[in-house]
Amino acid sequence: MTRMIVKRLLVSLVVLWLVTLLVFVATLLLPGDPARAILGQQATPERIAALQHQLHLDEPVWQRYLSWLGGLFTGDLGTSTSTQGPVTTLLGDRIVASLVLLVLAAVIATPLGLALGTWSSMRRGRAADQTVSGISLVIAALPEFVIGVALIVLFATTVFKVLPSVTLTAPGEPVWRQPSQLVLPVATLVLVVTPYITRMMRATMNEVLDSGYVEMARLKGVRERTVLLRHALPHALGPVAQVVALQLAWLAGGVVVVEFLFRYPGIGQSLIDAVSKRDVAVVQAVTLIIAAVYIVVNLLADVVGILANPKLRTEASR
Amino acid sequence: MEERCEPNSLSRRRFLTAALGGAAELGAAPLLAACGGSGVAAAAPSGPPRRGGTLRVGVTGGGASDTLDPHVPVANPDIARVLNLYEPLLLRDHDYKLQMLVAESLTSSPDARTWTAVLRDGVRFHDGRAVTPADVVATFKRITDPKDPKSGAASLTMLGQVVPTGERTVEFRLTEPNAGFDDLLGQYSLGIVPADFDVKRPIGTGPFRLKEFTAGLQSTFVRNDHYWRPGQPYLDELVLINFAEDDARINALLSSQVDAIDQVPVALVDVLRSDPRMRVLRSATGTWLPFTMRVDRPPFDDVRVRQALRLVVDRDEMINQVLSGQGRPGNDLYAPFDPAYDSQLPQRKQDIPAAKRLLAEAGHENLDIELVTAPIQAGAVEAAQVFQQQAKAAGVTVRIRKVDTTTFYGENYLSWDFAQDFWYTRNYLPQVANGSLPKSPYNETHWQDPQFTDLVTRASATVDTADRTALLHQAQRIEYERGGLIVWGFVDQVDAHQVYVAGLVPDRTGISLSGYQFREAWLGTAPATTGK
Repeated sequence: MTRMIVKRLLVSLVVLWLVTLLVFVATLLLPGDPARAILGQQATPERIAALQHQLHLDEPVWQRYLSWLGGLFTGDLGTSTSTQGPVTTLLGDRIVASLVLLVLAAVIATPLGLALGTWSSMRRGRAADQTVSGISLVIAALPEFVIGVALIVLFATTVFKVLPSVTLTAPGEPVWRQPSQLVLPVATLVLVVTPYITRMMRATMNEVLDSGYVEMARLKGVRERTVLLRHALPHALGPVAQVVALQLAWLAGGVVVVEFLFRYPGIGQSLIDAVSKRDVAVVQAVTLIIAAVYIVVNLLADVVGILANPKLRTEASR
Repeated sequence: MEERCEPNSLSRRRFLTAALGGAAELGAAPLLAACGGSGVAAAAPSGPPRRGGTLRVGVTGGGASDTLDPHVPVANPDIARVLNLYEPLLLRDHDYKLQMLVAESLTSSPDARTWTAVLRDGVRFHDGRAVTPADVVATFKRITDPKDPKSGAASLTMLGQVVPTGERTVEFRLTEPNAGFDDLLGQYSLGIVPADFDVKRPIGTGPFRLKEFTAGLQSTFVRNDHYWRPGQPYLDELVLINFAEDDARINALLSSQVDAIDQVPVALVDVLRSDPRMRVLRSATGTWLPFTMRVDRPPFDDVRVRQALRLVVDRDEMINQVLSGQGRPGNDLYAPFDPAYDSQLPQRKQDIPAAKRLLAEAGHENLDIELVTAPIQAGAVEAAQVFQQQAKAAGVTVRIRKVDTTTFYGENYLSWDFAQDFWYTRNYLPQVANGSLPKSPYNETHWQDPQFTDLVTRASATVDTADRTALLHQAQRIEYERGGLIVWGFVDQVDAHQVYVAGLVPDRTGISLSGYQFREAWLGTAPATTGK
């Protein structure tokens, strides 16, 4: 099993490298260079030339790429053309802020989805089950933007004015210092992710609860609680872990939209700003981070899948 | 400034009524109209300005490249910061009149080649040092550094030398006569800084000094105790908060997380106006969003085509559809607040038969053109779309090519055949220097008319006002008759704030929220805030 994980890790590194190459080329294909993007309407030929020199944009493309890639090995994410400072300084606090959002959403959404799915599976066909199914279907159909705006209208600006609609943290102050500002962004992410987990959990549990071994356990007179916790749940977790992983990986990207909406000082805002300013180093760094989250979460899901499935477990250890 | 009403005699409701009264009333004396109002709006603060408190302002735009450099403000939040940290020698006030700041006076020699500035006594930098002629010299040296020219350098090409000539006097020696040099000096990007200025220690003479700054997020300022205007600023603290997105900014105002926001999208003005907690601040400005036709490229090199396209535009409909009525129609001329603006020229109106006739004469019955547009300013893309519709009536096919803002200002900026641009309020000659001379840095239309250039050059050197006005009227007539710009209107600036914020007044410069002059702002009854 260890060998499989190591192999997967190596593949992941190659994928990450391909991502850097793709992103680098893609940003080069965008019309306009950083100097023009920064200067906007103020771009006179003299000022563009001066800024291009300051930003080392007059160096060949491959040289810029290689020096950036080389820096990665020493933990140096390169120099932002917008701030003319290190990308690590620019993104440091923002990565933490985004992670706070992600982890909070994951920690709430995963158990909530699993519990809701199980609960509604045990009440299959009844009113409670149908209500959960209906609501989760509707929410799953809504884009995160719509959910976010609806929450803002409901809780911040129009109906109840109880929660802040945007994140305003003083410079240097961590976002969690004012927890009320986290409520709506986290709630949005939770609402986006939970329905999928719920539906998948419900479907898998239905299958498991219909299976022979559960029937056998019930016939033997095992208590329903034990049937559920000892026999049914472990079998459902494997397949559901994949869906949970996909959803959590999606969170890493979906956070961009939510951060934009709530003016949350995370990597999503930096990404949007960096794309419009053609700030390649920052776009690269943020894309790498999101790609890395995808890879790590998927790897974890595979591990959970293997651990939950005796057949795969023995195969993998061979 | 001195003849302005004091905030205590000023009623916001009357003020807004005046502001909403339309072009005619605004053209007269909107500020005088607002004076002497007796009824004070319901919850708006009254009485003399109260000292103290923190004003939180949501400002549009900005990002990681935000700067505190007084001489290279680009994004909107940069402009807001620069205007509160630094002061130039002189600056346009709310009425778009030049007002002396660091300078006490600025006078021209009879030949308009030498300008003498006398520095105001008692103006100090944030660290308490008095402003000296050497500081002024160093400031202009920094701006016009040939190795790293700053924003203001492009319009100061005629500046030869800056020489200290006395304890409080500085002489500006020009390489060519310029009777409008005072206008060129009155720019917010020409803030006076100490000779040992370092942007890491942003010191100026502005009403506020910097406390904290995080690019792309927020900046905090505190009152400058050395400020030369007695009593001002009234606020203890000023917080400018960047907003990349319109909805987030409006939501922050509605949920009372900020006290004021700039640039309300026109579609949302009515929403805010119906909220009793909010006040909408509307200013008539000289901001314009022209269509730009390259006069050196077919088909626009034919003056009949340019005229036809100007006749295609229904200007009132443009104002209504693009700006939801928040603007005034234009007459293919800029600088409406310039005393020399020629308002006698007949207002150009939509005339489809005439446009068709001109196109037929030019051999372009079925004209097919591409219009490059980008969201460079609220309303730009919409204007392109409305123009496309209006042009159809004259048999002109307009294909819209929408690009993103960075592409628009990319390599092809200033060489698009048919595109748009965006300008704030300026007087005629400074605007000409920016965009209508062969050597201008932003000559989008590639306008190069010897007769026009000659008139403008002579006007620049003419000190006598009447003579200069006569020359400028001739120049404007040329642009009116054969220029490459379609100036369909002037955009009103719409901002909003909570009722308890006082001291913000309409401002003609086109810069949001009272020209970002927060030294005049003060807070009435303590705000009931959430989330802070």
